[in-house]
Amino acid sequence: MTSVRPKLKPETPKTVTAWETASGNVVWLRADLTWTQDASEIGVFTGDDAEAALEKAKSQEGEITDPYFMEVTEDGKVAGRETLRESIRANGPTVPFGVII
Amino acid sequence: MYRYDEFDAQIVKERVDQFRGQVERRLSGEILEDEFKPLRLQNGVYLQLHAYMLRVAIPYGQLNAARMRKLAKIARDYDRGYGHMTTRQNIQYNWVALKDTPDVLEELAEVEMHAIQTSGNCIRNVTSDHFAGATQDEIMDPRPWCEIIRQWSTFHPEFAFLPRKFKIAVTAAEHDRAAIRVHDIGLHMRERDGVVGFEVHVGGGQGRTPIIAAMVNEFVPETEILDYLEAIMRVYNRFGRRDNKYKARIKILVTETGPEEFTRLVEEEYAAQQTSEKIALPQVEIDRINAYFAPPAFEDKSATSDAFERAKTADPAFANWAKINLHPHKVPGYTSVTTSLKPIGGLAGDATDSQMMVMAHLAERYGFDDIRVTHAQNVVLPHIALDDLYEVYRELAAAGLATANESLITDMIVCPGLDYCNLANARSIPVGQEIQKVFEDPAYEQDIGKLHINISGCINACGHHHVGHIGILGVDRKGEEYYQISLGGRADEKAAVGQIIGKALRHEEVPGAVKTIVDTYRDLRTSADEKFIDAVERVGVEPFQEAIYATD
Repeated sequence: MTSVRPKLKPETPKTVTAWETASGNVVWLRADLTWTQDASEIGVFTGDDAEAALEKAKSQEGEITDPYFMEVTEDGKVAGRETLRESIRANGPTVPFGVII
Repeated sequence: MYRYDEFDAQIVKERVDQFRGQVERRLSGEILEDEFKPLRLQNGVYLQLHAYMLRVAIPYGQLNAARMRKLAKIARDYDRGYGHMTTRQNIQYNWVALKDTPDVLEELAEVEMHAIQTSGNCIRNVTSDHFAGATQDEIMDPRPWCEIIRQWSTFHPEFAFLPRKFKIAVTAAEHDRAAIRVHDIGLHMRERDGVVGFEVHVGGGQGRTPIIAAMVNEFVPETEILDYLEAIMRVYNRFGRRDNKYKARIKILVTETGPEEFTRLVEEEYAAQQTSEKIALPQVEIDRINAYFAPPAFEDKSATSDAFERAKTADPAFANWAKINLHPHKVPGYTSVTTSLKPIGGLAGDATDSQMMVMAHLAERYGFDDIRVTHAQNVVLPHIALDDLYEVYRELAAAGLATANESLITDMIVCPGLDYCNLANARSIPVGQEIQKVFEDPAYEQDIGKLHINISGCINACGHHHVGHIGILGVDRKGEEYYQISLGGRADEKAAVGQIIGKALRHEEVPGAVKTIVDTYRDLRTSADEKFIDAVERVGVEPFQEAIYATD
């Protein structure tokens, strides 16, 4: 773990995010505890359900890498202290890349 | 140019095979991230914000066309069509899939390249003057010694687990373009009574504790330098702190011990070395390595070129570029060309695969197959004949590589920042682009003259903000990006750490603040010849502070 990861209260809506091990792509847990690379499919968890989701993710550390809680709104949008970081992580760099000016 | 011998080739190949097995075990779930992380880092593979990042070593920034073409191929086949040149004169790929990294490393090995020791607490890529072997102001070519130090430090068993990472830079020019005083060890080649040796600086660095290196020895003869380096490394390995990551660099040891005591410890260690453990580098070996860096077959040319002069008259844009992006060559009729990777609104230090192919072609066709990556994130073609310059320029311009801004305000050092980096607190690239826009008028930019802006997205200082004439540091304030500005830093032979001038500014305030600083300088400079950094050193930071914060 390298980035700052604030502690979230049990009642704070959150999801579990990680990287797909083979590709390095960013992934999030859906509500059904399967992984998605589509940020619009983020599952929202709180309390014991969230802890169980994280434990489940940790048990899959072959397929995915370094899972952690990420704060979201109740409808699954990036939220909280790390909004900028997680938005960039979800949407890619904020600058066009690989182009000749 | 360095070459692998049969042992080098075998070792690198075996290392690739070993890493392939490690990746396979990671992908199968046999080993998990905690076990795998140190293995991947030893092969230059980081996990960043969006993806894996592969850092490839470019020894002292030197490439040839074949190696550059391979870097282009890797960008095209395994990444998203571009690579990023770093302040360690290396290249980073931002989107390589882990499953592909063994194939990438295998391809690199085909052209005698690797990613070993580009991460971890070991001796990293040795850096040097990007004009080495070409510039008029060097006493000799430092690259043979860079190569000897590279060979000595690669897989050195005693220094594989240092307290922290370790960076060495070497220059042989009076004007320091290699930032040796902000390195763990900075070596300045000197000649004394016909003997070649090194002025040794130790304990410089940036990060959260910026320190200018202390000179621990005025002159170590070249025959003794490897033993002397070993003495320094042993003192560091023994006394460097391992209890606190943030106090583990040698700069902390030198500071806490005191430069005099540190020097005494090094001298004591050096004196205690047994004859049997001295590194007696055979002259034949030194000669072999020197031969790798023999000057190319320059032609006898006049110091001036009619073709060059005619082209300048015919094409003002070329004349303007030639005024800014050329560096005097030691051989008459030749020049060193800086290929700017800082187009206005572009991504500092990034080159696309097609741009890499253009640079490779030009090096091969016109430049004795020699290419350098600079620590300021540009690329240099060190040996171009003035007669060929206009052709080179036209091809560079067609590829978007002929921005006339070398060492001007839009030629910034910019770290990847929060757009890519997992450690960053704030973005760097957009801030740099927004500042570039303010100064995009060439007349305005050239009136300002030489001015280095360095931008880092966090305190780790990969963007060298501490030694920027204007330094910009991104900080996180409750999830919002703020930027701290410092003035008066410099990385050259008068190296200094910049002074923070006041409270951090919001992102959108930064370009205007930089313009205020620059216009304040233009108002107070004694003449157009007084450079920004000289003016800051003369008047201090107060006039600039007042200009920015007076209305608060």
